[in-house]
Amino acid sequence: MNVNQKDIIRYQYKFEFERSPEINFDVDLDANSLVLVGEDNAPRPDWTKLKFNQCENCPLSSDVEYCPVAVNLARIVEKFRDDVSFESTVVTVKTKERTFVKKTTLQKGIASIIGLFMTTSNCPIMDKLRPMARFHLPFATSVETFFRSISTYLTAQFLLSRKGKEPDWTLAKLLDYYKAINTVNKGMSNRLAKASERDANVNAVVILHSFGDGISYFIQDGLEEIEPMFSVFFENEENPIQGTANPPH
Amino acid sequence: MNDKILVVDDEESLRLTMKLKLKAAGFEVEVAEDGEAAIEKLRGQKFDAVLLDINMPRMSGIEALGIIRQQFPQTEAIMLTGFADFSTAIECLKNGARDYLVKPIDTTELITRLKSLLRSKSSEQALFEVQRQYSSIFLNDMLGPLKEMRSSLEKVLKLKGKSETAQREKLIEDVHDRCDKMAKEIQLLLDFSHTEIEKKTSEGVSINTTELAERLKQLREKIK
Repeated sequence: MNVNQKDIIRYQYKFEFERSPEINFDVDLDANSLVLVGEDNAPRPDWTKLKFNQCENCPLSSDVEYCPVAVNLARIVEKFRDDVSFESTVVTVKTKERTFVKKTTLQKGIASIIGLFMTTSNCPIMDKLRPMARFHLPFATSVETFFRSISTYLTAQFLLSRKGKEPDWTLAKLLDYYKAINTVNKGMSNRLAKASERDANVNAVVILHSFGDGISYFIQDGLEEIEPMFSVFFENEENPIQGTANPPH
Repeated sequence: MNDKILVVDDEESLRLTMKLKLKAAGFEVEVAEDGEAAIEKLRGQKFDAVLLDINMPRMSGIEALGIIRQQFPQTEAIMLTGFADFSTAIECLKNGARDYLVKPIDTTELITRLKSLLRSKSSEQALFEVQRQYSSIFLNDMLGPLKEMRSSLEKVLKLKGKSETAQREKLIEDVHDRCDKMAKEIQLLLDFSHTEIEKKTSEGVSINTTELAERLKQLREKIK
Protein backbone atom coordinates (compact mmCIF):
# COMPACT_ATOMS: atom_id res chain seq x y z
CA MET A 1 0.00 0.00 0.00
CA ASN A 2 1.44 3.40 -0.98
CA VAL A 3 0.87 5.90 1.74
CA ASN A 4 2.53 9.26 1.95
CA GLN A 5 4.85 9.54 4.96
CA LYS A 6 2.88 12.46 6.39
CA ASP A 7 -0.27 10.36 6.35
CA ILE A 8 1.27 7.81 8.67
CA ILE A 9 0.65 7.45 12.38
CA ARG A 10 3.67 5.70 13.83
CA TYR A 11 4.02 3.92 17.16
CA GLN A 12 7.60 2.81 17.83
CA TYR A 13 7.81 0.02 20.38
CA LYS A 14 11.10 -0.93 22.04
CA PHE A 15 11.38 -3.91 24.42
CA GLU A 16 14.52 -3.94 26.60
CA PHE A 17 15.63 -6.96 28.63
CA GLU A 18 18.28 -7.55 31.25
CA ARG A 19 19.82 -10.57 29.58
CA SER A 20 19.06 -10.24 25.88
CA PRO A 21 19.23 -7.60 23.15
CA GLU A 22 16.41 -5.09 22.72
CA ILE A 23 13.62 -5.78 20.25
CA ASN A 24 12.03 -3.06 18.16
CA PHE A 25 8.74 -2.87 16.31
CA ASP A 26 7.35 0.01 14.29
CA VAL A 27 3.60 0.07 13.92
CA ASP A 28 2.63 2.26 10.98
CA LEU A 29 -1.03 3.10 10.45
CA ASP A 30 -2.66 4.85 7.54
CA ALA A 31 -3.82 8.08 9.22
CA ASN A 32 -7.14 8.04 7.38
CA SER A 33 -8.19 4.41 7.36
CA LEU A 34 -6.19 3.39 10.48
CA VAL A 35 -5.18 0.20 8.69
CA LEU A 36 -1.72 -1.23 9.37
CA VAL A 37 0.65 -0.54 6.48
CA GLY A 38 3.96 -2.06 5.45
CA GLU A 39 3.07 -5.64 6.40
CA ASP A 40 2.77 -6.84 2.79
CA ASN A 41 6.07 -8.70 3.03
CA ALA A 42 5.54 -9.98 6.56
CA PRO A 43 6.21 -13.71 7.15
CA ARG A 44 3.20 -15.97 6.71
CA PRO A 45 3.78 -19.16 8.69
CA ASP A 46 1.24 -21.98 8.50
CA TRP A 47 -0.59 -20.86 11.61
CA THR A 48 -1.59 -17.62 9.85
CA LYS A 49 -3.78 -19.52 7.36
CA LEU A 50 -7.46 -18.75 7.77
CA LYS A 51 -8.39 -22.40 8.17
CA PHE A 52 -5.83 -22.98 10.94
CA ASN A 53 -7.97 -22.91 14.13
CA GLN A 54 -10.39 -20.53 12.40
CA CYS A 55 -12.53 -18.47 14.82
CA GLU A 56 -16.04 -19.88 15.38
CA ASN A 57 -17.66 -16.65 14.20
CA CYS A 58 -15.32 -15.84 11.29
CA PRO A 59 -17.34 -14.08 8.57
CA LEU A 60 -14.61 -14.35 5.91
CA SER A 61 -15.29 -16.52 2.90
CA SER A 62 -13.33 -19.70 2.27
CA ASP A 63 -11.45 -18.14 -0.68
CA VAL A 64 -9.54 -15.92 1.78
CA GLU A 65 -6.28 -17.77 2.35
CA TYR A 66 -4.87 -15.99 5.39
CA CYS A 67 -6.41 -14.68 8.59
CA PRO A 68 -5.77 -10.90 8.54
CA VAL A 69 -5.34 -10.75 12.31
CA ALA A 70 -2.86 -13.63 12.34
CA VAL A 71 -0.85 -12.09 9.49
CA ASN A 72 -0.57 -8.82 11.42
CA LEU A 73 0.58 -10.71 14.50
CA ALA A 74 3.09 -12.99 12.76
CA ARG A 75 6.20 -10.85 13.25
CA ILE A 76 5.69 -10.30 16.94
CA VAL A 77 4.46 -13.81 17.72
CA GLU A 78 7.47 -15.42 16.07
CA LYS A 79 9.76 -13.10 18.03
CA PHE A 80 8.30 -13.97 21.43
CA ARG A 81 7.28 -17.59 20.85
CA ASP A 82 9.84 -18.93 23.38
CA ASP A 83 9.31 -16.35 26.11
CA VAL A 84 7.49 -16.49 29.43
CA SER A 85 4.66 -14.14 30.27
CA PHE A 86 6.04 -12.67 33.49
CA GLU A 87 9.54 -11.89 32.19
CA SER A 88 10.48 -8.35 33.16
CA THR A 89 11.01 -5.78 30.41
CA VAL A 90 11.23 -2.03 29.95
CA VAL A 91 8.95 -0.99 27.11
CA THR A 92 9.27 2.39 25.44
CA VAL A 93 6.60 3.60 23.05
CA LYS A 94 7.37 6.68 20.98
CA THR A 95 4.76 8.62 19.04
CA LYS A 96 5.06 11.96 17.27
CA GLU A 97 3.58 13.69 20.29
CA ARG A 98 5.06 11.87 23.30
CA THR A 99 7.02 8.96 24.74
CA PHE A 100 5.69 6.34 27.15
CA VAL A 101 8.07 4.22 29.25
CA LYS A 102 7.08 1.41 31.57
CA LYS A 103 8.84 -1.35 33.41
CA THR A 104 6.37 -4.17 33.09
CA THR A 105 5.85 -7.83 32.30
CA LEU A 106 6.39 -9.10 28.78
CA GLN A 107 2.74 -10.21 28.52
CA LYS A 108 1.56 -6.66 29.26
CA GLY A 109 3.97 -5.15 26.74
CA ILE A 110 2.94 -7.63 24.04
CA ALA A 111 -0.75 -7.10 24.85
CA SER A 112 -0.31 -3.38 24.27
CA ILE A 113 1.19 -3.79 20.79
CA ILE A 114 -0.94 -6.72 19.62
CA GLY A 115 -4.04 -4.78 20.58
CA LEU A 116 -2.95 -2.33 17.89
CA PHE A 117 -2.14 -5.06 15.38
CA MET A 118 -5.45 -6.84 15.87
CA THR A 119 -7.71 -3.81 15.57
CA THR A 120 -6.00 -2.50 12.43
CA SER A 121 -5.99 -5.75 10.47
CA ASN A 122 -9.22 -5.35 8.47
CA CYS A 123 -10.82 -8.25 10.33
CA PRO A 124 -14.56 -7.45 9.99
CA ILE A 125 -15.13 -8.22 13.69
CA MET A 126 -12.12 -6.41 15.16
CA ASP A 127 -12.87 -3.39 12.92
CA LYS A 128 -15.29 -2.02 15.53
CA LEU A 129 -12.31 -1.22 17.75
CA ARG A 130 -10.28 0.44 15.02
CA PRO A 131 -11.00 4.08 16.04
CA MET A 132 -9.35 3.30 19.38
CA ALA A 133 -6.04 2.77 17.54
CA ARG A 134 -5.92 6.52 16.85
CA PHE A 135 -6.09 7.19 20.58
CA HIS A 136 -3.88 4.27 21.58
CA LEU A 137 -2.87 4.36 25.24
CA PRO A 138 0.03 1.97 25.85
CA PHE A 139 -0.12 -0.06 29.10
CA ALA A 140 -3.61 1.21 29.90
CA THR A 141 -5.21 -0.14 33.06
CA SER A 142 -8.49 -2.04 32.79
CA VAL A 143 -10.53 0.94 33.91
CA GLU A 144 -8.77 3.22 31.42
CA THR A 145 -9.46 0.74 28.63
CA PHE A 146 -13.11 0.35 29.62
CA PHE A 147 -13.45 4.14 29.69
CA ARG A 148 -11.78 4.61 26.28
CA SER A 149 -13.90 1.89 24.83
CA ILE A 150 -17.20 3.28 26.12
CA SER A 151 -16.18 6.83 25.15
CA THR A 152 -15.26 5.75 21.62
CA TYR A 153 -18.56 3.91 21.24
CA LEU A 154 -20.60 6.87 22.52
CA THR A 155 -18.73 9.21 20.15
CA ALA A 156 -19.68 6.89 17.30
CA GLN A 157 -23.33 7.00 18.43
CA PHE A 158 -23.26 10.81 18.51
CA LEU A 159 -21.84 10.90 14.98
CA LEU A 160 -24.49 8.39 13.94
CA SER A 161 -27.28 10.55 15.37
CA ARG A 162 -25.88 13.60 13.55
CA LYS A 163 -26.36 11.64 10.36
CA GLY A 164 -30.03 11.22 11.29
CA LYS A 165 -29.66 7.56 12.28
CA GLU A 166 -30.77 5.79 15.42
CA PRO A 167 -28.02 5.90 18.07
CA ASP A 168 -27.64 3.29 20.82
CA TRP A 169 -27.18 5.17 24.07
CA THR A 170 -27.83 2.01 26.13
CA LEU A 171 -24.51 0.41 25.10
CA ALA A 172 -26.40 -2.76 24.21
CA LYS A 173 -24.71 -3.15 20.83
CA LEU A 174 -21.31 -2.46 22.36
CA LEU A 175 -21.76 -5.60 24.47
CA ASP A 176 -22.74 -7.55 21.34
CA TYR A 177 -19.62 -6.30 19.58
CA TYR A 178 -17.45 -7.36 22.49
CA LYS A 179 -19.06 -10.77 22.60
CA ALA A 180 -18.02 -11.29 18.98
CA ILE A 181 -14.59 -9.73 19.60
CA ASN A 182 -14.01 -12.10 22.48
CA THR A 183 -14.80 -15.09 20.29
CA VAL A 184 -11.99 -13.83 18.03
CA ASN A 185 -9.71 -13.33 21.05
CA LYS A 186 -10.41 -16.88 22.15
CA GLY A 187 -9.83 -18.23 18.64
CA MET A 188 -6.59 -16.25 18.43
CA SER A 189 -5.35 -17.55 21.79
CA ASN A 190 -5.92 -21.12 20.55
CA ARG A 191 -4.06 -20.27 17.35
CA LEU A 192 -1.14 -18.67 19.20
CA ALA A 193 -0.93 -21.56 21.66
CA LYS A 194 -0.08 -23.75 18.66
CA ALA A 195 2.39 -21.17 17.34
CA SER A 196 4.26 -20.66 20.63
CA GLU A 197 6.42 -22.74 22.93
CA ARG A 198 5.89 -20.60 26.06
CA ASP A 199 3.00 -18.52 27.38
CA ALA A 200 3.95 -14.87 26.67
CA ASN A 201 1.99 -14.54 23.39
CA VAL A 202 -1.07 -16.42 24.60
CA ASN A 203 -1.24 -14.52 27.86
CA ALA A 204 -1.06 -11.23 25.97
CA VAL A 205 -4.25 -12.20 24.10
CA VAL A 206 -5.74 -13.41 27.39
CA ILE A 207 -5.27 -9.86 28.74
CA LEU A 208 -7.17 -8.43 25.76
CA HIS A 209 -9.84 -11.10 26.24
CA SER A 210 -10.21 -10.04 29.87
CA PHE A 211 -11.06 -6.46 28.79
CA GLY A 212 -13.77 -7.78 26.49
CA ASP A 213 -14.97 -10.17 29.13
CA GLY A 214 -15.09 -7.54 31.84
CA ILE A 215 -16.78 -4.68 30.04
CA SER A 216 -20.34 -5.85 30.65
CA TYR A 217 -19.58 -6.23 34.36
CA PHE A 218 -17.89 -2.83 34.35
CA ILE A 219 -20.97 -1.20 32.82
CA GLN A 220 -23.14 -3.01 35.37
CA ASP A 221 -21.08 -2.39 38.53
CA GLY A 222 -17.83 -0.57 37.75
CA LEU A 223 -19.38 2.62 36.38
CA GLU A 224 -20.80 3.32 39.83
CA GLU A 225 -17.25 3.64 41.11
CA ILE A 226 -16.38 6.43 38.68
CA GLU A 227 -19.82 8.09 38.78
CA PRO A 228 -18.85 10.57 41.55
CA MET A 229 -16.21 12.01 39.19
CA PHE A 230 -19.04 13.16 36.94
CA SER A 231 -21.12 14.75 39.72
CA VAL A 232 -20.49 18.24 38.37
CA PHE A 233 -22.64 17.36 35.36
CA PHE A 234 -25.51 16.14 37.55
CA GLU A 235 -25.42 19.17 39.87
CA ASN A 236 -25.64 21.67 37.02
CA GLU A 237 -28.12 19.77 34.93
CA GLU A 238 -30.70 22.59 35.25
CA ASN A 239 -28.30 25.29 34.15
CA PRO A 240 -25.25 23.72 32.52
CA ILE A 241 -23.75 27.01 31.26
CA GLN A 242 -23.04 28.49 34.72
CA GLY A 243 -20.62 25.78 35.84
CA THR A 244 -18.82 26.09 39.18
CA ALA A 245 -17.87 29.41 40.71
CA ASN A 246 -14.32 28.29 41.48
CA PRO A 247 -12.98 25.98 38.85
CA PRO A 248 -10.29 23.59 40.10
CA HIS A 249 -6.67 24.38 39.18
CA MET B 1 -22.73 -15.40 54.37
CA ASN B 2 -21.27 -15.37 50.85
CA ASP B 3 -18.39 -17.68 49.94
CA LYS B 4 -15.12 -15.81 50.00
CA ILE B 5 -12.71 -16.15 47.08
CA LEU B 6 -9.12 -15.00 46.68
CA VAL B 7 -8.04 -14.31 43.08
CA VAL B 8 -4.27 -14.49 42.57
CA ASP B 9 -2.85 -13.30 39.24
CA ASP B 10 0.07 -11.03 38.36
CA GLU B 11 -1.97 -9.28 35.67
CA GLU B 12 -4.15 -6.40 36.87
CA SER B 13 -6.77 -6.69 34.12
CA LEU B 14 -7.37 -10.37 34.89
CA ARG B 15 -7.68 -9.69 38.61
CA LEU B 16 -10.18 -6.89 38.06
CA THR B 17 -12.26 -8.77 35.50
CA MET B 18 -12.47 -11.89 37.64
CA LYS B 19 -13.34 -9.80 40.66
CA LEU B 20 -16.19 -8.12 38.76
CA LYS B 21 -17.48 -11.46 37.43
CA LEU B 22 -17.35 -13.26 40.76
CA LYS B 23 -18.94 -10.37 42.64
CA ALA B 24 -21.77 -10.36 40.10
CA ALA B 25 -22.22 -14.10 40.80
CA GLY B 26 -22.61 -13.40 44.53
CA PHE B 27 -19.13 -14.17 45.86
CA GLU B 28 -17.11 -12.03 48.20
CA VAL B 29 -13.79 -11.38 46.44
CA GLU B 30 -10.27 -10.26 47.34
CA VAL B 31 -7.29 -10.12 44.98
CA ALA B 32 -3.53 -10.63 45.28
CA GLU B 33 -0.80 -10.00 42.70
CA ASP B 34 1.38 -13.03 43.39
CA GLY B 35 1.91 -16.03 45.64
CA GLU B 36 3.58 -14.08 48.44
CA ALA B 37 0.81 -11.50 48.58
CA ALA B 38 -1.73 -14.35 48.55
CA ILE B 39 -0.14 -16.07 51.55
CA GLU B 40 -0.16 -12.74 53.41
CA LYS B 41 -3.89 -12.36 52.71
CA LEU B 42 -4.58 -15.94 53.78
CA ARG B 43 -2.81 -15.29 57.09
CA GLY B 44 -5.17 -12.41 57.81
CA GLN B 45 -8.50 -13.75 56.53
CA LYS B 46 -10.29 -17.03 55.95
CA PHE B 47 -11.07 -17.88 52.32
CA ASP B 48 -13.24 -20.68 50.99
CA ALA B 49 -11.31 -20.96 47.74
CA VAL B 50 -8.35 -19.48 45.96
CA LEU B 51 -8.01 -19.08 42.16
CA LEU B 52 -4.30 -19.36 41.61
CA ASP B 53 -2.38 -18.44 38.45
CA ILE B 54 0.52 -20.83 37.81
CA ASN B 55 3.09 -18.54 36.17
CA MET B 56 3.80 -15.59 38.42
CA PRO B 57 6.95 -13.69 39.48
CA ARG B 58 8.40 -13.85 43.04
CA MET B 59 6.41 -16.93 44.13
CA SER B 60 4.81 -19.16 41.50
CA GLY B 61 1.34 -20.61 41.84
CA ILE B 62 2.80 -24.08 42.41
CA GLU B 63 4.94 -22.90 45.32
CA ALA B 64 1.97 -21.03 46.77
CA LEU B 65 -0.20 -24.14 46.38
CA GLY B 66 2.24 -26.16 48.51
CA ILE B 67 2.05 -23.59 51.33
CA ILE B 68 -1.73 -23.29 51.08
CA ARG B 69 -2.22 -27.07 51.34
CA GLN B 70 0.07 -27.17 54.37
CA GLN B 71 -0.99 -24.07 56.28
CA PHE B 72 -4.56 -23.43 55.10
CA PRO B 73 -6.07 -26.87 54.35
CA GLN B 74 -9.61 -25.52 54.64
CA THR B 75 -9.06 -23.31 51.56
CA GLU B 76 -9.63 -25.07 48.24
CA ALA B 77 -7.40 -24.21 45.28
CA ILE B 78 -8.26 -23.96 41.58
CA MET B 79 -5.27 -23.41 39.31
CA LEU B 80 -5.34 -21.03 36.32
CA THR B 81 -3.02 -21.52 33.39
CA GLY B 82 -2.60 -19.36 30.31
CA PHE B 83 -1.17 -22.20 28.34
CA ALA B 84 -2.62 -25.66 27.99
CA ASP B 85 0.28 -27.13 29.93
CA PHE B 86 -1.47 -30.26 31.10
CA SER B 87 1.54 -31.86 32.75
CA THR B 88 1.86 -28.87 35.08
CA ALA B 89 -1.87 -28.86 35.71
CA ILE B 90 -1.85 -32.56 36.59
CA GLU B 91 1.13 -31.96 38.87
CA CYS B 92 -0.96 -29.31 40.63
CA LEU B 93 -3.87 -31.73 41.03
CA LYS B 94 -1.48 -34.28 42.54
CA ASN B 95 -0.29 -31.60 44.95
CA GLY B 96 -3.76 -30.89 46.25
CA ALA B 97 -5.37 -28.45 43.80
CA ARG B 98 -9.02 -29.38 43.29
CA ASP B 99 -9.35 -28.24 39.69
CA TYR B 100 -7.70 -26.19 36.96
CA LEU B 101 -8.92 -23.86 34.22
CA VAL B 102 -7.21 -22.80 31.01
CA LYS B 103 -7.25 -19.07 30.16
CA PRO B 104 -9.06 -17.30 28.58
CA ILE B 105 -11.58 -18.45 31.13
CA ASP B 106 -15.22 -18.87 30.23
CA THR B 107 -17.31 -17.07 32.85
CA THR B 108 -20.07 -19.66 33.03
CA GLU B 109 -17.56 -22.48 33.38
CA LEU B 110 -15.68 -20.64 36.12
CA ILE B 111 -18.81 -19.95 38.17
CA THR B 112 -20.18 -23.48 37.66
CA ARG B 113 -16.94 -25.18 38.70
CA LEU B 114 -16.45 -22.89 41.67
CA LYS B 115 -19.99 -23.43 42.93
CA SER B 116 -19.71 -27.18 42.46
CA LEU B 117 -16.41 -27.25 44.33
CA LEU B 118 -17.75 -25.21 47.22
CA ARG B 119 -20.93 -27.30 47.39
CA SER B 120 -18.83 -30.44 47.55
CA LYS B 121 -16.61 -28.85 50.20
CA SER B 122 -19.62 -27.87 52.28
CA SER B 123 -21.02 -31.42 51.92
CA GLU B 124 -17.76 -32.89 53.13
CA GLN B 125 -17.73 -30.57 56.11
CA ALA B 126 -21.34 -31.43 56.90
CA LEU B 127 -20.54 -35.10 56.62
CA PHE B 128 -17.57 -34.72 58.91
CA GLU B 129 -19.78 -32.98 61.46
CA VAL B 130 -22.46 -35.69 61.31
CA GLN B 131 -19.80 -38.40 61.56
CA ARG B 132 -18.26 -36.66 64.55
CA GLN B 133 -21.62 -36.38 66.30
CA TYR B 134 -22.83 -39.89 65.55
CA SER B 135 -19.66 -41.93 65.84
CA SER B 136 -19.71 -41.66 69.64
CA ILE B 137 -23.39 -42.64 69.75
CA PHE B 138 -22.83 -45.69 67.56
CA LEU B 139 -19.73 -46.72 69.46
CA ASN B 140 -21.78 -46.58 72.61
CA ASP B 141 -24.43 -48.74 70.91
CA MET B 142 -21.74 -51.35 70.17
CA LEU B 143 -20.18 -51.21 73.59
CA GLY B 144 -23.32 -52.47 75.42
CA PRO B 145 -23.62 -55.81 73.55
CA LEU B 146 -19.84 -56.32 73.73
CA LYS B 147 -19.91 -56.01 77.50
CA GLU B 148 -22.80 -58.49 77.67
CA MET B 149 -20.91 -60.97 75.46
CA ARG B 150 -17.85 -60.68 77.65
CA SER B 151 -19.95 -61.33 80.75
CA SER B 152 -21.54 -64.41 79.08
CA LEU B 153 -18.12 -65.75 78.09
CA GLU B 154 -16.83 -65.29 81.66
CA LYS B 155 -19.82 -67.33 82.89
CA VAL B 156 -19.02 -70.04 80.34
CA LEU B 157 -15.47 -70.27 81.63
CA LYS B 158 -16.74 -70.83 85.18
CA LEU B 159 -19.15 -73.66 84.14
CA LYS B 160 -16.87 -76.70 84.05
CA GLY B 161 -18.98 -79.64 85.24
CA LYS B 162 -20.79 -82.05 82.87
CA SER B 163 -24.12 -81.28 84.51
CA GLU B 164 -23.83 -77.69 83.34
CA THR B 165 -23.45 -78.46 79.62
CA ALA B 166 -26.96 -77.27 78.71
CA GLN B 167 -26.47 -73.96 80.50
CA ARG B 168 -23.07 -73.51 78.85
CA GLU B 169 -24.46 -74.20 75.40
CA LYS B 170 -27.24 -71.68 75.97
CA LEU B 171 -24.71 -68.99 76.92
CA ILE B 172 -22.55 -69.72 73.86
CA GLU B 173 -25.64 -69.60 71.65
CA ASP B 174 -26.52 -66.26 73.18
CA VAL B 175 -23.03 -64.88 72.43
CA HIS B 176 -23.29 -66.22 68.87
CA ASP B 177 -26.63 -64.46 68.37
CA ARG B 178 -25.25 -61.18 69.67
CA CYS B 179 -22.23 -61.47 67.34
CA ASP B 180 -24.57 -62.02 64.39
CA LYS B 181 -26.65 -59.01 65.34
CA MET B 182 -23.60 -56.77 65.71
CA ALA B 183 -22.22 -57.88 62.34
CA LYS B 184 -25.55 -56.99 60.73
CA GLU B 185 -25.55 -53.58 62.43
CA ILE B 186 -22.04 -52.81 61.22
CA GLN B 187 -22.90 -53.99 57.70
CA LEU B 188 -25.97 -51.74 57.61
CA LEU B 189 -23.88 -48.76 58.64
CA LEU B 190 -21.25 -49.52 56.02
CA ASP B 191 -23.87 -49.89 53.32
CA PHE B 192 -25.46 -46.60 54.31
CA SER B 193 -22.09 -44.84 54.30
CA HIS B 194 -21.09 -46.17 50.87
CA THR B 195 -24.31 -45.83 48.96
CA GLU B 196 -25.67 -42.59 50.38
CA ILE B 197 -22.83 -40.41 51.46
CA GLU B 198 -19.99 -41.22 49.10
CA LYS B 199 -22.27 -41.09 46.09
CA LYS B 200 -23.54 -37.68 47.05
CA THR B 201 -20.14 -36.14 47.76
CA SER B 202 -18.53 -37.55 44.63
CA GLU B 203 -21.32 -36.10 42.51
CA GLY B 204 -20.93 -32.74 44.22
CA VAL B 205 -24.50 -32.98 45.55
CA SER B 206 -24.93 -31.04 48.75
CA ILE B 207 -25.81 -33.08 51.81
CA ASN B 208 -28.66 -31.95 53.98
CA THR B 209 -27.29 -32.58 57.46
CA THR B 210 -30.72 -32.56 59.10
CA GLU B 211 -31.97 -35.16 56.63
CA LEU B 212 -28.82 -37.22 57.08
CA ALA B 213 -29.07 -37.09 60.86
CA GLU B 214 -32.73 -38.14 60.68
CA ARG B 215 -31.89 -41.11 58.44
CA LEU B 216 -29.12 -42.18 60.77
CA LYS B 217 -31.53 -41.94 63.69
CA GLN B 218 -34.06 -44.13 61.87
CA LEU B 219 -31.35 -46.65 61.00
CA ARG B 220 -30.29 -46.79 64.63
CA GLU B 221 -33.87 -47.45 65.72
CA LYS B 222 -34.15 -50.17 63.08
CA ILE B 223 -30.97 -51.84 64.33
CA LYS B 224 -32.20 -51.76 67.92
